[in-house]
Amino acid sequence: MEKTHKSTKRLKTAKELQKVVSDYYLRCISARSEGRPVGWMPPMNGVIELFYAMDLQPVFPENWSPVCAAFGLAPENFSVSENMGYSRDLCGYLRNIIGYVHGLMNEKDSPFGGLPEPDMLMSPGGGCVPVMKIFHELERRFPDAKVFYADLPQVAVEDIQAYHIDYAVAESQRLVGFLTEATGRRLDEDRLKEVVRLSDRACELWDEIMSFRRCRPVPFSAAEMGIMFVMVTLQGTQTAVDYLTRVRDEIRQKAEAGTGVIEDEKIRLFWDNIPLWYNMGLFNYFEKYGGVVVAETYSAAWSIRLDKENPIKSLALKSLMSYPLVSCVSINKRKEMVLKACRDYAIDGVIFHRNKSCLPITLGQMEIKEALEKELGIPSVIIDADHMDERNFSLAQFQTRVDAFMEMLLDRKE
Amino acid sequence: MKNNPIQPFEKTIEDSRQRLMALSASGRKTIGYFCTYTPIEILHACGLVPIRIRAGAGRMDKAGAHLPDFICPYMKLSLEKALDGHYDFLSGIVQGYSCDAACGLVNVWKDIFTDRFFHAMPLPYNDTRASRTYYRSALFELASRLEDLGGHFSETALTESLNLYSCIRSLQLELYDHRNKGNSAVTSRNLMAIVDAGFLLPPGEYLSMLADFMDRLPPDPPAAENGFPVMVSGSLVEDPKILDTIEASGGRIAADDLCNGFRQIFPADGRGKTPVDRLVDRYINRFPCPARARATDRSDRLLALAKDSGAKAVVFIVQKFCTPHLADYPTLSEVLKRNGLASILIEMDETWQMESQVKTRLESFFEMMGSAG
Ligand code: SF4
Ligand code: SF4
Repeated sequence: MEKTHKSTKRLKTAKELQKVVSDYYLRCISARSEGRPVGWMPPMNGVIELFYAMDLQPVFPENWSPVCAAFGLAPENFSVSENMGYSRDLCGYLRNIIGYVHGLMNEKDSPFGGLPEPDMLMSPGGGCVPVMKIFHELERRFPDAKVFYADLPQVAVEDIQAYHIDYAVAESQRLVGFLTEATGRRLDEDRLKEVVRLSDRACELWDEIMSFRRCRPVPFSAAEMGIMFVMVTLQGTQTAVDYLTRVRDEIRQKAEAGTGVIEDEKIRLFWDNIPLWYNMGLFNYFEKYGGVVVAETYSAAWSIRLDKENPIKSLALKSLMSYPLVSCVSINKRKEMVLKACRDYAIDGVIFHRNKSCLPITLGQMEIKEALEKELGIPSVIIDADHMDERNFSLAQFQTRVDAFMEMLLDRKE
Repeated sequence: MKNNPIQPFEKTIEDSRQRLMALSASGRKTIGYFCTYTPIEILHACGLVPIRIRAGAGRMDKAGAHLPDFICPYMKLSLEKALDGHYDFLSGIVQGYSCDAACGLVNVWKDIFTDRFFHAMPLPYNDTRASRTYYRSALFELASRLEDLGGHFSETALTESLNLYSCIRSLQLELYDHRNKGNSAVTSRNLMAIVDAGFLLPPGEYLSMLADFMDRLPPDPPAAENGFPVMVSGSLVEDPKILDTIEASGGRIAADDLCNGFRQIFPADGRGKTPVDRLVDRYINRFPCPARARATDRSDRLLALAKDSGAKAVVFIVQKFCTPHLADYPTLSEVLKRNGLASILIEMDETWQMESQVKTRLESFFEMMGSAG
């Protein structure tokens, strides 16, 4: 197989995404000149809604890494950070973004115009260690940025107690105070409610979109997962809701018409862990066996619903739950989620991406693998790779393992 | 002084499994922990014996069915040992949240050893009034969960535990001074054995052993021996051979910032109106671990430690794949260098076998230091 970097997209709306992405980055770049202060933050928490409610510009350095990978810039970024002394054993997001801010960012021709410098940094306490360390380095790189020292208990979702929530709420309130002071803007309660409503609407649409994956044949696959971009960067905006509505409509239409991703769908697969951003085409590799990647682990993590009548508490809960749900903080919950998805989507086999660049998601995979076999009789295969660093991926090994796995699954079907 | 004053400590480490099996057979409950941010004072106050999990050296075999290869040796081999039954004496595990590896491992253990007690306690990162309130609630939750296990918590018992551990830590800190002064009984190797034994005994017993050792300590020599004074900084170091190698290559360890060293001992105690406040205060003011602090906060502390101890360079000894330490290294080494301290990074895998290359690197490092200074 030729090494295809991009996946084949069959949804019209997935192709439209290009514009959504470039519009978002355009807004980032023009934010300062339009008087919108820029804050860099980790993804998957309730800070984004506060930003949109206060008309501030959120920027997600982690999300920039897939962009770099897709444009083939990651190797250059890696070489900058590795020269600074960052070990190749560290998460690729860390090595990529640190390399970027010390290298390419200072040059003019980045994709989408590059990232704007931050006026503020939402530096996390909690989340994974690499994300914390990314922000510690950003604090040094951008010494003029105002820093919010965030704090969040790392607790398994099933163990959350009232005092965890109280602390997360107190932290959200402290954040509002920080943003007010740093930008001179006030948070309008009605506006926050509206943003939270939009954010919740995006989750609802997301769930609806995902529910069409139960259809056989499945109307869209992991190859189209770029649509998740709006959940990461635009949650709480009308843009996200409008875009997801169009996606939903297109998918619903396909589902009603019985149009599948491929003509003869034989094998339904589940993908665990982050995709290989530099080679999304791998999702199409399964198709020659009639295989489609119907679901992924972390797509379920976007379903945390929000209550607009209780915006701050909802956002605090979202912050508390998002990371544990996809990481080793809540292996039990994650296991439950994967098993449920495998039942709901009638999965035949699971691909575990053992991701050298992400220990927190990789830990616990073997426990999930065992439960899948024992409880549901679903076989799985392990692929050794890395979501950012191509040097830790061998296409030949991928093909050998996948070929054998797919043949086994086809045999079982007969 | 007896021939080998260090022998009781070394024996404690050697016999730990048998001894702890016997202890648990006698009805005392032992609770394991990985990270020293675990508030062992609460465990002890509840009548339980806190035991730090050690990994030792070896190769991952059975644990390979649960873990990827790219995780620190400490986590790999502790699970390996647990699967071999080495930790059968533990009634459970309590873990103060530190790094991703330890957090995940507790959950993996929980999934495997379903009949045991597990509790993960997330700690705050900030020091504010709200974060201290949160911390107190987390400690009370822990105490109440331990009561479900048969423990009994009271503030009086906690005060006693705090006093006990404070005494132990103060004596250990005294030993650090003696090492720095070149005391012949407190070599780096010995100091490590003394500290490590403390993880494996009920604290009362350990305190007597420690006090006994202190009583027979020979006087410090007028001046420390030769050797280039260095600080070692890094993750858990479970094999003293690397310390020997540093000393044999021309270094003299004047201070450390190790996970099983000074970092978890200092400060000996905290302050507060109630015993719980005192506990919170100590853990919040602990010598910081890279899993919880900024490299720049750590560099300030390391520079001060170097100044106090006379260390003129830093040897980083890091477990392979240890994200917190590896991520801090570039910043730390840069800031240290700017302040006149050179550094070198050594990564250790689970065999703790040192390639000859490590010795050569250290030798040339010290040679260079010597000629520079
Ligand atoms: S969650 Fe994983 S991929 Fe994301 S920053 Fe942390 S280690 Fe890296
Ligand atoms: S801090 Fe480092 S050595 Fe300690 S458990 Fe975490 S990864 Fe392992």
